[in-house]
Amino acid sequence: MTGDGCSRRALLAGLAGVVLAPAARARPVDRLAAAGTLSIAVYRDFEPWSWRDATGTLKGIDVDLGTALATALGLKAQFTDFLADESVEDDLRNMVWRGPLIGGSAADVMMHVPTDRRFQLQVDRCVIGAAYARERFAIACGPGADCEVPPPQWAGKRLAAELDSIPDIWLSGSFGGVLSGQVSHHMSGAAAMAALIDGQADVAMASKAQVEHALANNAAPHVKRRVGPIPALPSPGWDVGLAVKDDSRDLADALEAIIERFAGDGTLDRIFAPYGVSRMPPLGNG
Amino acid sequence: MKISHMLAASAALAIAAAAPAFAQAGPTDAQIMNDEASPGDVLTYGMGHRGQRFSALDKINAGNVKGLVPAFAASLGGEKQRGQESQPIVYDGVIYVTGSYSRLFAFDARTGAELWQYDARLPDGIMPCCDVVNRGAAIHGDKIIFGTLDAHLVALNRKTGKVIWNKTLADYAAGYSFTAAPMIVNGKVIYGNSGGEFGIVGKVEARDVETGELLWSRPTIEGHMGSLKGADNGVTGKTNASWQGDQWKNGGGATWLGGTYDPDTNLIFMGTGNPSPWNSHLRPGDNLYTSSTLAIDPDTGVIKWHYQTTPHDGWDFDGVNEFISFDASIGGKPMKLGAKADRNGFFFVLDRTNGKFVSATPFVSKVTWATGYDKKGRPIYVPENRPGAPNTDGSKGTSVFAAPSFLGGKNWMPMSYSQQTQMFYVPSNEWGMDIWNEPIAYKKGAAYLGAGFTIKPLYPDHIGVLRAIDPTTGKIAWEYKNKAPLWGGVLSTGGNLVFTGTPEGFLKAFDAKTGAELWKFNTGSGVVGTPVTWEQDGEQYVAVMSGWGGAVPLWGGEVAKSVQNINQGGALWVFKLPK
Repeated sequence: MTGDGCSRRALLAGLAGVVLAPAARARPVDRLAAAGTLSIAVYRDFEPWSWRDATGTLKGIDVDLGTALATALGLKAQFTDFLADESVEDDLRNMVWRGPLIGGSAADVMMHVPTDRRFQLQVDRCVIGAAYARERFAIACGPGADCEVPPPQWAGKRLAAELDSIPDIWLSGSFGGVLSGQVSHHMSGAAAMAALIDGQADVAMASKAQVEHALANNAAPHVKRRVGPIPALPSPGWDVGLAVKDDSRDLADALEAIIERFAGDGTLDRIFAPYGVSRMPPLGNG
Repeated sequence: MKISHMLAASAALAIAAAAPAFAQAGPTDAQIMNDEASPGDVLTYGMGHRGQRFSALDKINAGNVKGLVPAFAASLGGEKQRGQESQPIVYDGVIYVTGSYSRLFAFDARTGAELWQYDARLPDGIMPCCDVVNRGAAIHGDKIIFGTLDAHLVALNRKTGKVIWNKTLADYAAGYSFTAAPMIVNGKVIYGNSGGEFGIVGKVEARDVETGELLWSRPTIEGHMGSLKGADNGVTGKTNASWQGDQWKNGGGATWLGGTYDPDTNLIFMGTGNPSPWNSHLRPGDNLYTSSTLAIDPDTGVIKWHYQTTPHDGWDFDGVNEFISFDASIGGKPMKLGAKADRNGFFFVLDRTNGKFVSATPFVSKVTWATGYDKKGRPIYVPENRPGAPNTDGSKGTSVFAAPSFLGGKNWMPMSYSQQTQMFYVPSNEWGMDIWNEPIAYKKGAAYLGAGFTIKPLYPDHIGVLRAIDPTTGKIAWEYKNKAPLWGGVLSTGGNLVFTGTPEGFLKAFDAKTGAELWKFNTGSGVVGTPVTWEQDGEQYVAVMSGWGGAVPLWGGEVAKSVQNINQGGALWVFKLPK
């Protein structure tokens, strides 16, 4: 995280919620240990990171990782799946530093927060870090479209993307807007991939994890991923990590240490694998 | 309802509020329709369905208003002291007010004693856009009806506060909410929808006031099917006439502020919100019927006419502002008109029988996005003032300074039309916005091409301006400047008075003809509610809600400086002249 290295090293020894820091006053990690739970905010309807299956069970990479983080702190994970607001800044206000206006309270930690340094500076009420993966956008095609051609050649093809996402903006707005009328809009990247797999679209664009997850276990052999690069894409990818409130730097440091350990001992890869997602390591401090 | 019955009912009320038989029956459709002309009660949001917010009462007037004193104040209590944007309803010796966090209170209109209180049990995870406000209730018969933040419509027994019916309007878990005051027209509760900027489609609906059953539904975006008594009732507009591809399916146009009704034309007027997605370059076309006023048949939900104040809205102005019916002569010709002070900074006058454009004049000092409107009622855009297309090359776009800001020349707070002075009194704000494309922003945990913006006051000493506007000329007769943004509604009276509240906490009274400030009283917290007046036991009363909140406290920067020392509250204040 953005905290200084000294406190981080001091807390490397403080895994499993054991407090070794010299300060005598109660700190967030002490309070958590007393409560016995770690409250964790995850995005709702965000397959494969966090979503509810047909039985209403909350699952996903962020849920499994959150559970593992809580366990490593000697705590029980308690999840809130929340509706995304208009920006991640809003989400951090609702779920981390202020809490929702109605009911519930702020979570101890929020999963899947971009760790972009410029973004961190805009949200100084939070500590953001402990990047655990990198994401970027990817494209997949059904039998009706050649996935490797320059995108303008998809004129006339049916394109699918999440409403108001970079894939939507890129498909609708790039190349002089020649493809704009062909884009069908879906409420999530997973839904855009489902439309492709069901044959309602020829091309879908979503995040790499969403594409890989939808195609996992050879679930859709008729769908191919684009191998070539995506031209003129505004985002080269982004690291995702964790956010805690700015008064909880000790918790941030403890979580960062656990993530480092999980990356080194293969725990992260093992958490990602069942979802068909190959974890891209974060580039770090991007 | 027979006319004789209606006359008997109002006569009984005029004689004595303590007629128990009638009181139990409660206001009829005819009484509600006659609210504008019945000084002894306030039965509608707008003090009459036309929304003029004018009372002919003149016992309190420009000559004696300086003696106005509190009769009582009644606290909404609890920890739930956020923005109080409600307009009181007054009937049968009771004042009904809605409070923040979807509460409804009944207070004795003579003593301020609380008679009952209803607290909606709100689930976790509601996402109100701006604050946990509610703008008011509707009364009919034995019921008092209001909407809740979890998008329910609740009918309570007005004597006891017990639930008669409770209907789900939309899924709060998908981001829908409800904050407007419903209206009741001939036995139908009519209301709009709000919340859920992402993927929402605006609609207007009517329910049976007795049962809460849905009667009709009318989507506001072209391509969507309406319904009447469970059957299809025609598509709104013409599919894809002003939208590309499937964008109409999630086109926006929420009717989050509710509407007004005009008995002369038997039309409901509903304003619609901004189109979605935000960036206009991604949705070529006019994007009907976003940022428009719709005239709707209250019996069937069919759209009779529309007028779009901001075609292809690229500034998030939206067009929800109230459309107020009034009659005046234009060029010597008597006309049935309506007026709307739009977020986009223009004051519109339309022929309310057919929606034809009459005039549009700026009611704020600076409008940068358009130079005016042509004879057909189309804006004459300033193309370089439209916020830019998202930069797909990852660079920061050029910054545009646009005025008004997206908080609007006027936001939600309702204006008033005085039948005495024949002027509109418009609570406006003088602010603009720097807006630019962010190279990369983040949304739902992923990279995103968003816009950055900073709202800036136009002047160092004030943001809010209350203006008196002659609707036949668009000329501004007077203005009152206020340091903080104005965020409360306006009332005008036959006593040559105009009342409005300020975030600084004052309820103020102005000379309706000259704008001279005649009286003020500090209510202890910001006033963002809408005042009302009525007569009771031979005396004229004025009431307003006090309690700072709403959207203004969300914005930082220069705007925050004008409101940083305002504290929260939650109280009904009632005033009268000393005996």
